[in-house]
Amino acid sequence: MMGLDNRRGLLDSETSKPQNLGQTLARFSRYFRRFWSGVLVAVVFVFISTWAQVTAPELIGQAVDCYLFQPQANAQMMQMMQAGGDEAATAQTAATSNCWYTADDASSIEARIQADDSIPEDEKGAAMTAAKLAGIGGLTLLLLGLFILAAAMQGMAFYAMAWSGQNVLRDLRKELFRQIHRLSLGYFVRNEAGGVMSRITNDTDTIQQVFNFALLSVFSGALLIVWIAVRMLQANWIYALISLTVVPAMAVATVYFSTQARRAFRIARQEIGSVNADLQESIAGAREVQAFNREEASIAGFRDTNAANRDANVRAAAFTSALNPVLEALGFIALTIVVVTGGLSVLRNEPLLGVGAVVSLGTIIAFIQYVQRFNQPIQQIAVLWTNIQNAIAGGERIFVLLDEQPDITEKPTARELPPIEGHVTYENVWAEYKPGEPVLKDISFSAEPGQMVAVVGPTGAGKTTIVNLLPRFYDVSGGAVRIDGHDVRDVTVASLRSQIGLVLQDTFLFSDTVINNIRYGRLDATDEEVIAAAKIVAADSFIEKLPDGYQTVLGERGSGLSQGQRQLIAIARVALMNPRLLILDEATSSVDTRTERIIQAAFEKLLAGRTSFVIAHRLSTIRSADLLLVLENGQIVERGTHDSLLQAEGAYYDLYMSQFRYEEPAPGDETPQPAGD
Amino acid sequence: MQATASVPRRERRRGSKEGRSALLRAIGALRNQRRSATIAYGALVVATLAQLMVPLLVQNIINSVTDGAVANSILSIENPIVRNLAIGALGQQTGQTAEQLQLASQNAESWMLQTALVIVLFTIVRGAFSFVQAYMAEATSQGVAFDFRNAIFTKLQRLSFSYYDRNQTGQLMIRATDDVEKVRLFIAQGLVLTVQALLLLAATLIILFLTNWRLTLVVLPILPIALVLFMSFGAISQPLFRGVQKRLSRLNTILQENLAGIRVVKAFTREPHEQANFDKSADDLFSQQLSVTRIFMFLFPVIFLVAQIGQAAILYFSSAQILDNTLTLGEYQQFTLYLAYVFFPIGQLGFIITLMAQAAASADRIYEILDARSEVSNKPDAVTLPPMEGRVELDNVTFRYFGGSDPVLKDVSFTAEPGQTIALLGATGSGKSTIINLIPRFYDVSEGVVRIDGYDVRDVTLDSLRSQIGIVLQETNLFGGTIRDNIAFGRPDATLEEVTEAAKAAAAHDFIMSFPEGYETPVGERGTSLSGGQKQRIAIARALLLNPRLLILDDSTSAVDLVTEARIQAALDRLMEGRTSIVIAQRITTVLKADQIIVLDKGQVAAIGKHADLMENSAIYAEIYNSQLVDDAAPEGQG
Repeated sequence: MMGLDNRRGLLDSETSKPQNLGQTLARFSRYFRRFWSGVLVAVVFVFISTWAQVTAPELIGQAVDCYLFQPQANAQMMQMMQAGGDEAATAQTAATSNCWYTADDASSIEARIQADDSIPEDEKGAAMTAAKLAGIGGLTLLLLGLFILAAAMQGMAFYAMAWSGQNVLRDLRKELFRQIHRLSLGYFVRNEAGGVMSRITNDTDTIQQVFNFALLSVFSGALLIVWIAVRMLQANWIYALISLTVVPAMAVATVYFSTQARRAFRIARQEIGSVNADLQESIAGAREVQAFNREEASIAGFRDTNAANRDANVRAAAFTSALNPVLEALGFIALTIVVVTGGLSVLRNEPLLGVGAVVSLGTIIAFIQYVQRFNQPIQQIAVLWTNIQNAIAGGERIFVLLDEQPDITEKPTARELPPIEGHVTYENVWAEYKPGEPVLKDISFSAEPGQMVAVVGPTGAGKTTIVNLLPRFYDVSGGAVRIDGHDVRDVTVASLRSQIGLVLQDTFLFSDTVINNIRYGRLDATDEEVIAAAKIVAADSFIEKLPDGYQTVLGERGSGLSQGQRQLIAIARVALMNPRLLILDEATSSVDTRTERIIQAAFEKLLAGRTSFVIAHRLSTIRSADLLLVLENGQIVERGTHDSLLQAEGAYYDLYMSQFRYEEPAPGDETPQPAGD
Repeated sequence: MQATASVPRRERRRGSKEGRSALLRAIGALRNQRRSATIAYGALVVATLAQLMVPLLVQNIINSVTDGAVANSILSIENPIVRNLAIGALGQQTGQTAEQLQLASQNAESWMLQTALVIVLFTIVRGAFSFVQAYMAEATSQGVAFDFRNAIFTKLQRLSFSYYDRNQTGQLMIRATDDVEKVRLFIAQGLVLTVQALLLLAATLIILFLTNWRLTLVVLPILPIALVLFMSFGAISQPLFRGVQKRLSRLNTILQENLAGIRVVKAFTREPHEQANFDKSADDLFSQQLSVTRIFMFLFPVIFLVAQIGQAAILYFSSAQILDNTLTLGEYQQFTLYLAYVFFPIGQLGFIITLMAQAAASADRIYEILDARSEVSNKPDAVTLPPMEGRVELDNVTFRYFGGSDPVLKDVSFTAEPGQTIALLGATGSGKSTIINLIPRFYDVSEGVVRIDGYDVRDVTLDSLRSQIGIVLQETNLFGGTIRDNIAFGRPDATLEEVTEAAKAAAAHDFIMSFPEGYETPVGERGTSLSGGQKQRIAIARALLLNPRLLILDDSTSAVDLVTEARIQAALDRLMEGRTSIVIAQRITTVLKADQIIVLDKGQVAAIGKHADLMENSAIYAEIYNSQLVDDAAPEGQG
C-alpha cells in the first residue's frame, strides 16, 4: 500500500511546475557551497571529456588526410606543378591543407624514403607502406588514449558530482527530519502526514536523480552541442548555418511530442489510479463482494476501468512512439542537407549562397560526423529537462516545509521545570486551531497533587484539546496553564514533557522489539527494569507468550498485536517512565473485553498517587474521579464528583442517562482480575 | 482466523526455472493480441531493413560527390597535357577512362540529388515503420496487461476466504499492479528489442562478412567481451541497487514512524534519540549510494570504451588494407557505420537480460494467483436454494484451515429454528468466526455437514445461498460509488425510498443527510472517508435492505462515542427482529434475549442453553458472562 501511496504522491508532484525558479536555485546552490570542490571537479572533467569527444573524430580524419589519401593528390600535384598554373594552386589548398597532425606526413615519408639510398629501390614501396602504417599506429594509440581519457574523465566527473549531490541530499534529509521534530503538533493537524512524507521521500528522490545524473548529463550534452556548433561555424560559417537548420526543428519536435506525451500520461496516471483503487477495494473487501454476490458486477466494473486505463496509455503511446522516429528522420534529413549543399558547393566550386568559403571534401566528412552527434544529447536533454523541472518544483515544496515556523517555541528565558509536585491550574484558558474559532472557551479549574480529573462530553466538545495543552502540544490563545505555579510557556519543553506520561487511545508502537518499545519511556532503563514495568501493568504474561518474548520484533505500527495488547505496551512504557503527571485517553471501542479489563486494572495501578487527567469513556473511571468536568462546545457546563452531579440532575445527569452504560454490579468489577490471556 | 495469518505462506521465491517457464507462458498471452503483435513485428522487420540500407546510401551519395569533385577538378585543368596526365594517373589507380570521367562530372549533381531523394524516401519509410512498430508494440503490451489484470481480478473475486487468509492485501495489490507492469514492460520493450537486436546483429554481421571478412574477424573477438561486460553490469549493479533500496526503506520507516507517532516522540521528548537514529540511516544510505556510484563511474564509461576500441582497431587495420589498395575509403566509412549496428544491439541485449530476470520473477508471481484453485465452488449439479425459511443446522462439524493442522472446530452440532436468535460465545480463538464463515460457505467443512432448511450448503449454488443471508461484521469495507450504491450493494435495483428506509432503521439517515450531497456522497477509496461507526451503520442498512431470512452478525461496535453506540445497538436489535440470527455476542442484551446460547471452548461446544440455565450449570459461561460481556449503552439493560 505504501508503494501505491507513493505513486499517487508522485502523480501530484509531476503536475507542478517551479513557481520561483531563481530563488530556489539560489537556495540549492547554498547547500552546494560546502561541497563545491566536487562540482568544480565535475565541471572541469566534463570540459576535458567533451574536448576529447570533439577531437576524436577529427583525429580519425587526420589518419585519412595525413597518411592515406595524400599520395594521389601529391602525385597529381607533382605532375601539375611541372606544368605550373593557377589551377594547381587552387587544387593544392583543397587537397593538402587538411593535415595538422604531423609534419612527417605521407608526402614527407615518401620523399624521405625516395631519397634514402640505403633502401633498395624495389623495397621502397613496402618501406613507405610500413612507415605510413607505423604513423597510423601511433595515431591509433593516441586515439585510444583520447577515448580512455574521455571515459575516465566522464566517470570521474559523474562520481564527483554524485559525491556533492549525495552530500547535499544527506544534509537536506537530516534538516527535514529535524524540522519535523521542530514543528508543533498543529502543523500535523493542518497538513496530512502523507504530504509531509512525500516531501521527504518523493521530492528528495526526484532531486537525487537530478543531482546524480541529470544535471551533469544536461550540462555535458549542452556543452557538446555548443562546442560542435562552434567548430562547425569556425570551419565554414555559412555551411554550418545551413547544416544547423535542422537543430531547431529537432528541438521543436522534441518539445511538442514530450509535452503531448506528458499530458497524455497525466490522464493515464489518473486511470491507473482508478485501477488501483478498484483493486484495493475489491481485494480488501473480497469477503463482502462474495457475501453479497457481487462478483460479476464487480468484474464488469473493473473491466471498464481497466479498459479506460489501457486506452489512455495507448493514446499516450502515440506521442512517445513518434518522438524517436521523428528525431531519427530529422537526423537523416540533416545528413542529406549536409551532403547535398556541401556537394553542390564542391561540384560547382563556388561558395554557398555566394558567401564565405568554398566547402572542401574534408569538411563534408567532418560535418557528417558532427551532425550525427547532435541527435543523442538533444533527446537526452528533452527527457532530463522534465526531471530537472520536477526537482526544482520538489525543492520548492521542501523549502516551504523547511521555512514553516513552529507555533510553539521556547522562550529565551525558559527555565527548567523543577520536579513536579502535581498541582495543576487552568486559568481562563482559551484555545483555537483556526483564528476566530475557539475550541475552548474560558476554562478554569485546578487539580491538587494526586487527584484524578476526568473529562467527559460528546465528540468535538474539546476534551482532547484540554489535555493537549498540558504538555504544551498547543499553546493557549488566552489565559494560562500552570503546573506547580509555573506557566507551561515559561519552562523548557524538554523538562516539561519528560515529566508527563501520556497514553493515547490509538497507541503508537515502533517497528522494533517489544523491549525497546517499552524502553522508549526511559532509554537508560535496564532489561530488568523494563520487565518489572511490564509486570506492574500485567503486560508481562502476554509478552512472554510472543514467539521471541520481549525480543519479538513488531511489524509496522505494532502489527501482529491486538489493539489491547498494543495499549498495554504503551502503558508499560509510561510505567517505566514513572511520571508525576499522567494523561490518559481511554479507548472507546469494546473489542476484546478481557484485555480491556486488564487495561483498566493497569490504568488504576498507574494512576495511584499521581495527578492525572483522563478522557473518560468508562463508568468505573468516572466514578473514581476526584473532579469531573462536563464539556460541551468548548465550555465546562458542570463540574463536581459523579455522585454530586447525579444528584444535581443537570447536564451530566442527562448525559449519563442517555450515554453511559449502567454498571452491572458483577463480581470482579470493582477489583478487576488481571486474568491471563 | 488470526492464527492462520501467521502460518508460513507458500514459498514465494521459486526457482528461476519456474520463472522462465512462467515468462514463456506470459509471452504466450500474446495470442490474444495477435493482430497488433503481427503488425508490430512486421513493421520491425521493415524498419530494420531500411536501417540497414542507410550506410549504403550514405556511401553512395558521398561517392557521387567525391567522384564528381575529382572529375571536375581534373577536367577543369585548362592545360590539355596536364589534364591528360592527371586522367592517366587517375585511370591507373581506379581504372576510369576519360569518357567515364566526363560522365561523372556531368552527372555528379543529378546523381547526388537522386540519391538524396532516395535517402529522404528511406527516411520516411523507416520513420513511418518504426513509429508503427513502437506504437503497436505498446498497444500490444497494454492489451496483454489488460488481459492479465482482468484475469487476476476475476480470479481474486472467486478465490475462497482461505486464500485471503494466507495472502495480504498489499501483496496481492503488488502482483496486480507492479508485477503486471514489469511483465508488460518486458513484452513492450524487452521482447521487441531482443528481436530487433538479434535481427540487426545477424544481418549486420552477414553484410560485414560479405564486404570484408578480414576486418570482421578483427571486430569479432570484441563482441563476446562486450556481451560479458554488459551482463556483468546487470549482475553487479542489481544487488547494489537492492542495498540502496533496503537502506532507503529503512530510512523511510523511521520517517514514517516519526510522522505517525509524532505525539509519542514529543511526549517522551525523544527527538535527539530519533535524530541520531535517522542520521545513522541517512549516513548508511549515503555511503551505499556512493559505492553504487563508484561501480557505475567505472562500468559505464568502460562499456562505451569497448565500442570505441573497436572503432580504433578498425581504423588501424583498414588503414593497412587501404595502403595495400584492397580497401577504399568509402568502404572503410561504410564499415564503421555498420560497426555501430553491431555494438548497439549488444548493449540492448545486456539491458534486456536485466529486464528479463525481473519479468520472469513477476510472471511467476502472477501465475501463482492465476493458477490458485478456489477451494469453494459450485458443484456441477448444484441446485438453487428455494426461498429460505431459516432453519440452520450444524451436524458434527469439524473444520481445519489446512489439511493436517489442528481442528479449529471439533464435532460442533446445533440447530437454529426459523426466527431464533443464536448467540455464540467464547474466548478469542474459540471458533466463533469460523462457524459464522461456514454458513454462507466461505469455507467448506472438513467433516460433518452444514444444512439450511435441510439442504447441505455444498449442494446449492453459491449465488442462491449467499443472496439470502445478510451479514454484518465489525469491520466494514465500503466500495467506490455513492453511499446509496453501498447501501444497495446487495440489491442494486432498490429504490431511493427503500434505501432511505433502511438507512433510517439503521440510524444512518441523520449522518448521511449531514453530508452536502446526502445519499449521493461518493465514498470508498476515492471518496469521503467515513468513521468506523458510520461504516458499521451503512453495513446494517445494507443488510436490512436485503431483508434476509437469515442474519449473521457481530454485535460489537467499533470505536464510536457512546451516543452513537447506543444508536447502533438499537439498530442491531431492530435488524435481528423476526429473523434467524446467528450472532457473535459481545453484549449482555443479546445473550439475555437469545433463544440459544452456544458456549464455545477451544473449538468445541462447551454448553448450550438459555441465560438463566447456563448461569447455573456452566462455569465457563458464568466466567465469560462476568468478564467478557459489555453492558449495554441503553438504559433498558438494567437488571
